Parts: sequence; C-alpha cells; structure tokens
Amino acid sequence: MSDNRIEGYARALFEIARAEGNIDTVEAELYQLARAFESSDALRSKLTDDQIPAARRQAIVEDLIGATAANTTVQLVSLVIGSGRGRDLPAIVDKLVRRASSSKHLEVAEVRSAVPLTAEQQSRLAATLTSVTGKQINLKVVVDPSVLGGLVATVGDTVIDGSVRTRLDNVKSRL
Amino acid sequence: MNLTSLIAVDPAQSPHWLFPEPAEIIYGGIASLIIFAALWKFALPAFKKALGARTERIQKELDASANDLSKAQADATQIRQALGDIESEKARLLADAKAQADALLADGRNRLTAEIAELEAKADADIAAAAARGSDELRNEIGRLAGVATDRVIASVLDDSTQQALVENFIAKVGASR
Repeated sequence: MSDNRIEGYARALFEIARAEGNIDTVEAELYQLARAFESSDALRSKLTDDQIPAARRQAIVEDLIGATAANTTVQLVSLVIGSGRGRDLPAIVDKLVRRASSSKHLEVAEVRSAVPLTAEQQSRLAATLTSVTGKQINLKVVVDPSVLGGLVATVGDTVIDGSVRTRLDNVKSRL
Repeated sequence: MNLTSLIAVDPAQSPHWLFPEPAEIIYGGIASLIIFAALWKFALPAFKKALGARTERIQKELDASANDLSKAQADATQIRQALGDIESEKARLLADAKAQADALLADGRNRLTAEIAELEAKADADIAAAAARGSDELRNEIGRLAGVATDRVIASVLDDSTQQALVENFIAKVGASR
C-alpha cells in the first residue's frame, strides 16, 4: 500500500480514537497488537488471507482481543482487516502512534526487551531517554525473546543497542 | 558316220547336215542383225541405266558404310576417351573422398581430444568446487549449530535476576552517557 494510503488510514483511526476520547488506550493496545501481528506468522497469515471471507477475519479479531481490548480498538482493527489492509496494519499503527505522540509533543521510543519491564523500570527508562535525547518520550515496550537479554531502544533514527543478541552476533562475526 | 567323214562331205551338197541353206543364212543373219540392233537400241540403255543405278546404290551403301564405320570409330574413340576420363575422374573422386575422410577423421580426433580434455578439466573443477562447497556448507552448518547452541546456553544462563541486572545496567549506562 502506498504511504499516502497508510497515512490516510492512520489519520482516520487516530481521529476516531480521539473522538471516542480514549486515544491513549487505543494507541497502546494497537501498538501491542501490531507487534504481535509482526511476530506471529500464524496470526498474520490468517488475517491477511484473501481466501478467508472478511467477516470471518473480523470474527477472529473479535475473538482474539474482544474480551481484553477497548471496544474502539476492536472496531478499528476490524475495520482495517475487513477492508483487506491487514498486511499494512503495523505500518498504519506505527503512523497512528507517531501522530498521537506528536499531538502531545512526544517522541516515540520503542524498547525491545527479552523480559517484561516493570512500571518503575519503564518510568526510569523513559526519564533516562528523555534526558539523553532532550525530547519527551512516549515509551513503547515490546517483549522480544530474540533479544535474549538487555534492551534495544529506538528513538527516531537513533538506536541504542545493549542487547545480548547484538553482543553475541558481534562475537560470532569476529570469530 | 565318224567326224572325219562328216567334214569330208561337200558343203555345196544340199541339204548339208551342218551348214544351212544360203537363204536361211541371209534371212537368219538379217533377223539376227535386227534383233541385235533392237537390243542395242532398246535393251542396252535400260541395262546401262539399271547397271548405273545399281552401281550408284552400291556406291551409296559403300559410302554409308564408310560413314558408319568412321562414325563408329569416332564414337569408339570418344567412348575410349570418356572411359579414360571416367577412370581419371573416378580416381580423382576417390582421392578427394579419401582426403576429406582423412581430414574429417583428423578433425574429429582433434575435437574429441579437446572435448575430453575440456570435460576432464570441468570434472576436476566440479570436483574441486563440490569439495569446497561441501567444506563451506559444513563450516556454515557447524557455525549455525554453534550459534543455536550458544543461544540456548545463554538463554538458560540468563535467569530472571540476570535479565533484571542487564536491564538496570542498560538504564544506568544510557543515563551515564548524557
């Protein structure tokens, strides 16, 4: 899908969530769903399979997150999947998150960790990244076992990599 | 009566057994002359004409035979010459064919030798490449297995406290870098 179309979907979803008054919740839930969508081949293949009717794909979404996510989140994801734009869901959500952060003058910082971070760790990490980058941070933590240990923080174009995976890869390449 | 007695008979005696009467001789001579003249007048030209025609016909036949003979001799000469040409052409064709066959054979041998050499070189290169590829694949596989093993070992080593320590270390290092 073209950038303009992705941008259009992101803007539309953002405006709906903001109109519903729960942009923070929707943004956070969509972000987690987008990462799960990226990491799960089975989920991605189900939600992007054109042979499966749109209604069936939307039912899968509702079964998956209907009980835990906000109704607006479910409806927005269902809208994207039903319109056959499932493949672009992560890109749409990323643009929505950046747009939501920009509206609050925040910079999105994606942090990949092998284990979940506590709220206190997230708070300290956000403060640290704010002091390092000089920007207010909207922290998004993604649990990614492939990191093995440590963290990888991405703020805009800056990547701060303290993961065991990268150190291990460096050792392997040196060997 | 014997012959002597017959000759001894008087010719004037009539009728003589041998000599005719004078009138008979005259009339007979005149009739003979008339017949002879008629023959001279009428039969001789026809005879001469028939003889000439026959002579001419025989001459023509002789000429035709001579022509046929010379033509046959010419044909024979030509045939003999043609036979000679055929023999020489046959010999030349055989020589050409032999030369071409020799050239083809030599060319075929050369090409075969070159192809064998090329195939041998290619086989050697393939064997070397396969050996190198096998070695590379083995090395890559060992590397991959070592990577997987390393990941598993490290994942088993990284317990929760180590994970938390890594997180805290990251926050501290990033904070210290400002």
